[in-house]
Amino acid sequence: MNILAIETATPYCALGIVTNGHYLSRVLDDSRRHTEVLAPGIEAMLAECALAARDLERVVVDVGPGLFTGLRVGIASAIGLAEGLGCPLVTVSSLELLAHGAHRAHVHGTLLCCVDGRRGEVFVQRFTLDDDVTPVGAPEVLAPRSVVIEWATSGAPVTFSGDGVTRYFRDFNAVPNGEVFEQNVPPVDEALRLAETREPSSHVVPLYLREADAVANFDTRIRQ
Amino acid sequence: MKVLGIETSCDETAAAVVDDTLHVHSSVIESSIDQHRAFGGVVPELAGRAHITTIGPVVREALLQAGLDPTNPAIDAVAVTSGPGLIGSLLVGLSAAKTYALAWGVPFVGVNHLEGHLFAPLLEQRDLEWPLLTLLVSGGHSLIVLQEGLGQHEVLGETIDDAAGEAYDKVARWLGLGYPGGPEIDRLAQGGNPGALALPVSMIGDDFDFSFSGLKTAVVRATQKNPDVAIGDVAASFQSAVGEQLLRKLRRALERYDVKGVALAGGVAANSHLRVLVRSLADEFGVVSHLPSLSMCTDNAAMIGAAGLYRFAHDGASALSLSARANWQLVDVA
Ligand SMILES: [Zn+2]
Repeated sequence: MNILAIETATPYCALGIVTNGHYLSRVLDDSRRHTEVLAPGIEAMLAECALAARDLERVVVDVGPGLFTGLRVGIASAIGLAEGLGCPLVTVSSLELLAHGAHRAHVHGTLLCCVDGRRGEVFVQRFTLDDDVTPVGAPEVLAPRSVVIEWATSGAPVTFSGDGVTRYFRDFNAVPNGEVFEQNVPPVDEALRLAETREPSSHVVPLYLREADAVANFDTRIRQ
Repeated sequence: MKVLGIETSCDETAAAVVDDTLHVHSSVIESSIDQHRAFGGVVPELAGRAHITTIGPVVREALLQAGLDPTNPAIDAVAVTSGPGLIGSLLVGLSAAKTYALAWGVPFVGVNHLEGHLFAPLLEQRDLEWPLLTLLVSGGHSLIVLQEGLGQHEVLGETIDDAAGEAYDKVARWLGLGYPGGPEIDRLAQGGNPGALALPVSMIGDDFDFSFSGLKTAVVRATQKNPDVAIGDVAASFQSAVGEQLLRKLRRALERYDVKGVALAGGVAANSHLRVLVRSLADEFGVVSHLPSLSMCTDNAAMIGAAGLYRFAHDGASALSLSARANWQLVDVA
């Protein structure tokens, strides 16, 4: 199956294609220029794989959590491609991609994936890595300090990974029972692998985990 | 030649199929206005979120209504608004337009939203004669544009502060009316006395620029001084002051430039008072008035498709690396 993967949940923009069991993936940019680099990148990567757009049988997109604007660029691009071709669209989360990336690099035990959520917060989800990758609970929005304190207090061994960890490296690295597995871009190879077996989605939207700013402000204003 | 037009610059997700005879095969509009009402204005993050959920269904519907196969439509290009507008909203339409074009192997072209509005009258009156003066008034813009021909435009003047539609919204909020303010003020003004409040008509200078920011303050002050004045009279007085300023500049432009017609464009072009004023001004000068139907005044993708056809024929396709320009001025359109 020929699959294209789109990754825009962080300031990085990445793409991947699997064709005939051959995986090609590339980080196109590291500074939030998703709009500028994504479509030309798809065109170039298809050419590199000697594929026409019509040859794509499936599109997979990271729906976050992550940068709202980046996610909307990636998802709108994925919708245009999948709708335009009439091929299935599959979704993955940024946090599960990080977990699978760590698993492939032989990280075991408890893994905490953290994507930078801006505003002094991180998007967090816990996974157990053994033979499989199993999520423990749903993704949440937390202050990095509260995550660090919770884990340092528990004393349980844990591995941290994601660009949220990189951003607050000093805090995370200070957890005595913790280790850091450095990983900034949710790996598109993992998105391609997950897409092979996952059911397509008909309504694809970003995983925001946060109300629109104004909604939040408005709620506060009403309560006062 | 047939194009798919896409428009997502503000709160409307729109898609349309237009051909090079400017025949509109379909035009679909989905607005998120209901989500913004409570805030008294369009909330950018809410608008961006709405576009993501509607872009796919709206494009599909426009293709189906045009009798085309959504996964393999017989179209020759995709045209999309790439500015000006809310950046988070623009990016949804722009990103999707690029990949629809990639999927179908057709070129795509970025269109200036304001130039799109200038093409709206053409979709209803294909035989209109140039040169043309267009008064483009909406919630975000207020300009007088001289058009020598298709795609040849000169901005004679524009607002130096608020847009006309913005003034309507601000006064509506002050009067405790809903958002958007235009239709409600227009309705209330029907039976009102336009001479009830003495409001200043600003910008009486010799240029073609507008200013509407002082008007809200004047309405506030006047209603505080005359607390018993009926709301219909306030609405009529305000509407009359806006109309007078717009008309004064339009009249000056008609005196200065020898044109064949006057056109109204943009959301405020739906205002009944303004339509009457522009029609009688055109009659007075013996030129044709082009008053678009209400669906062509508000944001739509048919006008973007029409402008896209022109831009594609003239400047060719846009690069897939095109970015959105939130503040793209009409004077900067090539
Ligand atoms: Zn508009």
